[in-house]
Amino acid sequence: MVRKGWAEAPTAEPGFPFGLAREGVHEIVEGAYGDAPACAGFAVASLQAARPGAVVWVSQAEARLAHGGLSGAGLKQAGLDPGRFMLVRTRKRVDALWATEEAARSGHAAAVVAEVSEADFTATRRLSLVSETTGAPILLLMPYGREGATAAQARWRVSARPSSPNRYDARAPGRTRWRAVLERSRNAPSAAGRVFNLEVDNETLSLRMVPGLAAGPAPPHAPGAEDGLGEAPRRRAG
Amino acid sequence: MAAVNAPARAYGIAPGLSFSDACARAPALISEEIDRTGDAAGLKTVAALMTRWTPLAAVDGLDGVMLDVTGCAHLFGGEAAMVGGIARRLDEGGITARLGLAGTPGAAWALAHEGASGTILPQGGEADGLKDLPVAGLRLSPDALRLLRRFGLTRIGQLYDVDRKSLARRFQSAEAVGAALLRLDQALGRRSEPVDPLRLPPDYAARQPCPEPLGHLDGVREGLERLLGKLAGDLAAHGVGARDFTLSAYRADGTVSRTGVSASRAVREAAHIARLFRDRLERVDPGFGIDLLVLEARRTEPMGAGARPLSVDLAASALDESALAALADRIGARLGEGAVRVIEPAESHLPERAEAAAPFEGRLPDWSCIERAPQGPRPLRMFDQPEAVETLAEVPDGPPLRFVWRRVARRVMRADGPERIAPEWWRKTGGGAKPRARDYYRVEDQTGRRYWLFREGLYDDGRGGAPQWFVHGLFG
Repeated sequence: MVRKGWAEAPTAEPGFPFGLAREGVHEIVEGAYGDAPACAGFAVASLQAARPGAVVWVSQAEARLAHGGLSGAGLKQAGLDPGRFMLVRTRKRVDALWATEEAARSGHAAAVVAEVSEADFTATRRLSLVSETTGAPILLLMPYGREGATAAQARWRVSARPSSPNRYDARAPGRTRWRAVLERSRNAPSAAGRVFNLEVDNETLSLRMVPGLAAGPAPPHAPGAEDGLGEAPRRRAG
Repeated sequence: MAAVNAPARAYGIAPGLSFSDACARAPALISEEIDRTGDAAGLKTVAALMTRWTPLAAVDGLDGVMLDVTGCAHLFGGEAAMVGGIARRLDEGGITARLGLAGTPGAAWALAHEGASGTILPQGGEADGLKDLPVAGLRLSPDALRLLRRFGLTRIGQLYDVDRKSLARRFQSAEAVGAALLRLDQALGRRSEPVDPLRLPPDYAARQPCPEPLGHLDGVREGLERLLGKLAGDLAAHGVGARDFTLSAYRADGTVSRTGVSASRAVREAAHIARLFRDRLERVDPGFGIDLLVLEARRTEPMGAGARPLSVDLAASALDESALAALADRIGARLGEGAVRVIEPAESHLPERAEAAAPFEGRLPDWSCIERAPQGPRPLRMFDQPEAVETLAEVPDGPPLRFVWRRVARRVMRADGPERIAPEWWRKTGGGAKPRARDYYRVEDQTGRRYWLFREGLYDDGRGGAPQWFVHGLFG
């Protein structure tokens, strides 16, 4: 018998959505400036798969000013019970990260969503460790311009796409669609860089990949160049 | 002259004298403009200090502090020791004071102002004790005093047996005699007189005197632990929990430093309260050393003995509100009250009134009771204040073709609506403006972003000028 090298049994990689809303830190980043509502919608849609229980939603004041507060009626239409949500409002980023960590550490939150302006490697590493201990997924909603390596499990870059054709009224918007790029993934390294064209199914309130708009490899991330539809990204003034 | 010291009094200068008269009697008189606000603040500090002896301390008039020491004396080894302790403490602080202790506020006032300092009257001995004091001890107006003196009534004891009807006849008005008799009755305990305390007395309190002044926060932490043990025992014994806790650190130099925490629901677990205090303890400044720690509990509510879920599964799957409350308390202790909120539904058609981010009070809101779902689509994110947009091409009955929001022009590709939301005419609007109906549209721009636009007012509705467009929310 000859053994050339050491061969391990290949481990099966999880399919879509690659462990989103499972334990670990998942970054959801704006595809272009102004896509934060799409990120929030993507996060809320992914929470459908989370454990039942309370969701702690931490938001920094600047995110709330820029994109508004979470609406109960909107959550209800997205299929989630607004009564499950506990909102934490902070002014400073460090406080938001601390509250996120505290909520995940408590073990009583089914998921923690945090809208923060920035989280460095140390912060994401801390959050990952806490999340893996207690099993509470942490979704970080971050503004456009998030780059670089972090300790996060995955990074999704989400942008809005024109909605599906409306069957009953051609002039009305149809089902919500997003373009999600899986920029990095520890669970499924081979899927990193793929583009998913997603649609929200109004009946089952779940995410599904749009047939016909097959997922393909993403072009290298060039802000604003995607789709040809997106307006040029705007950096915040000042 | 408002106040004089002992050497000045020797010259015959008394409060109420005019300044020129006083200068004539004592040419070397040193005078200073009276600072009433400063005095009031100083008096408040003195009253705050007195809370180490009793929680019921009140500022009395311009120059006095009234303490209700009911049930407090045994903590200090009896009334005499307590009065002695207060006198010593004030003396060390450089404050000249006259003390009196009696069964009624009026009698105590008379003793402090007219009697020998430090007099203690036994329970029920007011009539005997006040007998020989001047009537000035009765807190009467100068006019009433002058009148009494004119009748030859100079001692309080002389008033006991005076026929009240004949006394009334000699006063000019019924109110004046009423006031005089009221003060007499209050001093003798025939009519009640409440004390208006500076701080609300706590429902429960625990105190920890320190034999050696604490100079370090570690000592405070240790003291807090002991206090929490005592207080939690008391609360549990009475079947209650509290929502506000205040730790007062009385320093040896006569100042006090306070810090407090609040819980979103009634609690009594010592470990939990200690965790809330963890970040707050740094705000306690030991100064020259702390010699007394007091922990007070307020806003108490009945609280049953906690039942734990039988299985871990049950605890993890159900919404464990008490665990969430503990988490909310920890966050609130660090980020301030109001940092933790829930989305509370309300009965209203107006989107901004239909829900509110209410402070978390230990209970998650129940949305299942809202049966009527809104007619149209609702955005995931809503602005607190709708933001005005500039429309570039309008059609009379429909959304604009283009609009500018946040200085970016957006082309409307698709839209649905309108959903008309009528104003709540039964509510008063400020400024007399007539409320206008709103037409809401969901519009999608060229990039696929969806906005919740509304037009306030209709064309030609006769309720103000041209309709205004606003963006109220953003769809996910």
